[in-house]
Amino acid sequence: MRKPRIPARLSRPTKNVLAFDTVESINWRALAPIGVFFLLCVVIAIFSPNFLSVSNAIRILNASAIPVVLVMGATFVILMGSIDLSVEGIVALCAVVTASLVLNDTFASDLGLWAIPFAVLAGGIIGGINGSTHVYLKVPSFMVTLGIGFVCLGIATAALGGFPVRISDRGFRALTLGRTLGLPNGIWVAAAAVAVAMIVQERTRLGRYVYAIGTDETTARQSGVPIERTRVLVFVLAGLFSGLAGAMAAAQLGQGHALIASGRLFTTITAVVVGGTALSGGVGSVLNSVVGVLIVIVLTNGMVLMGVPPFVQQGVQGFLIIVAVTLALDRRQLLVVK
Amino acid sequence: MGKIANNSIMLAAAATLSSGIYTASFAEDMTLAISMRSLSNPYHATFARGGEAFAESVGLPFEVLVTEGNSEKGLADIRALISRTNGNVCINVDPNDSPDAATIVDEAKEAGAYVVTQWNKPDDLHPWDHDPNYVAHMSFSGVGTSKEITNALIDAMGGEGGIVAIGGILSNVPAIERKLGMEMAVAETGGKVEILDFQPADWNETKAFEIMQAWLTRYGDDIKGVWAANDSMGIGALEALRQEGKDGLVPVVGIDGTEAALAAVEAGEMAGTVAWDPMWTGGMGLSLCHAAASGAIDIAAEPAEHREFYGTGIVVTSANIAEFRSRDASFDFNDYWAKSTGQIQYQ
Repeated sequence: MRKPRIPARLSRPTKNVLAFDTVESINWRALAPIGVFFLLCVVIAIFSPNFLSVSNAIRILNASAIPVVLVMGATFVILMGSIDLSVEGIVALCAVVTASLVLNDTFASDLGLWAIPFAVLAGGIIGGINGSTHVYLKVPSFMVTLGIGFVCLGIATAALGGFPVRISDRGFRALTLGRTLGLPNGIWVAAAAVAVAMIVQERTRLGRYVYAIGTDETTARQSGVPIERTRVLVFVLAGLFSGLAGAMAAAQLGQGHALIASGRLFTTITAVVVGGTALSGGVGSVLNSVVGVLIVIVLTNGMVLMGVPPFVQQGVQGFLIIVAVTLALDRRQLLVVK
Repeated sequence: MGKIANNSIMLAAAATLSSGIYTASFAEDMTLAISMRSLSNPYHATFARGGEAFAESVGLPFEVLVTEGNSEKGLADIRALISRTNGNVCINVDPNDSPDAATIVDEAKEAGAYVVTQWNKPDDLHPWDHDPNYVAHMSFSGVGTSKEITNALIDAMGGEGGIVAIGGILSNVPAIERKLGMEMAVAETGGKVEILDFQPADWNETKAFEIMQAWLTRYGDDIKGVWAANDSMGIGALEALRQEGKDGLVPVVGIDGTEAALAAVEAGEMAGTVAWDPMWTGGMGLSLCHAAASGAIDIAAEPAEHREFYGTGIVVTSANIAEFRSRDASFDFNDYWAKSTGQIQYQ
């Protein structure tokens, strides 16, 4: 990849908290999410030795696959200081698009794995609508993405009249059901998504610009960062990842319907924040968010393993999330907390 | 956020469904309406179709109201409808929450409108105390049918072993009833069947998927059966089993009779489900309401079992799925209680 030309002061963001290459400036607090993750694993393992089994590790990675793909997009949006609340809408609509394009019980089509590019593209287009409405009509990203998410869910409902499209294509379902080198394919797809996001973050101008905008938009603008274009592109990127997650959700559950993504938004935002990315922008990285997803998923898994009573679980979950965020956030870097 | 999201769908969907029909209404015509949580799940979508089918059969204007899971909105919409029609309206309503039913009945009585309620109402609110405007309350026996489907699961397990159970939202009446029915059926085995764990997954597929994965780690092969309080969660659990190549090896049961679950029963992946009849509750609820409002029947003179009654929940297993698929699902809108299975019992 061609080394992008970047204004000198933007070339090495100091706020990338998991960048280990700068040894002299290791920020121990930046490692807090990893610490929380290991602590959590140790506690659960004491109560339930099965937790450390290989098969459970695979199950946790498998359950993490879709959230990981989702946080790849959400992290960039949040790093920029914006928010994307359209996750559930885009995932549901793209799951419906995917389920409708492969061999199914409702529509006559049989695209097989070729349905995935269409789902990803659909997600990217919706992300583009999010971004352009936000930037050019100057509507806060909170409202735009909330609204567009609702529109997506509305389309998914109206298109199917409230009924699911069931997938009968076993070949397509191999996207999540099949295994390669012993691991479910969904994990490989998520790993590829992380690789792409890492390249965008570390090796492209877009990635640098995102940090610049999130840290201080005015300075970034004065340094010649194309704010508008960057913002739109980041929302497109988030849409592409959501679209991929939609295809994965359809493959995992063997259907597409309007409610298939319910609950995903909460997991996504929580994972990003628990991973140590600040909602105020500029601080964090995609790797942080991967750790954040693992914390959230291990927590869910561990509570069932430890036999925590259901009515206590939500309380414990809420409490631990606040603890994790408290440990992970570097308050010295946050001048303002909203 | 999920809740808000669900709500908004309804808005869009309800608008598309009701607008075309509403413009055709005339002032002197009685309006028929259905109110429920959402159009984005198959149960309620079919419920609305049932109401629409009856409205078409009598040629009256028809409206769909959705609560978006919000009691205030549900009540405000019903209030607006009653005042717009001057009380000349029949409403078949699935109240968002039990207490809402009392308010709806009061409003209807005051304006002379007619109401049939579904599923949710306070135990001490009875149609016969609000003659003639509160026509009837229809429900399905959550405890009884849950007990039946649990027995089907126990049969599929060979009569013994451990089961894991996935519940709905802990405070929902159907979730409580279905759990109770399951526990009663398990208790009747005298210890041969054991509930390894119970976890609520809030009616959500993905949550059920994750819980099932954790159970596979915790109990592994000790799991001889999976009970789910609805089909969505049953499918979520089934997909978690499929991921490990255990689909069809561990019997799973659900409740609701969704197409996905029925297909899974046909494929031998699920041991059974309970099929409700939302087409019937949607259509017959309005038909009964209309009959009372138009004077075709004297509802105040009808016995209690015609005012608070259960519909038919059919337990579908591999043994009767073919028969169930080929059954005659049509019904006569004028035969009001043909599918009733008795007066509602309170626990």
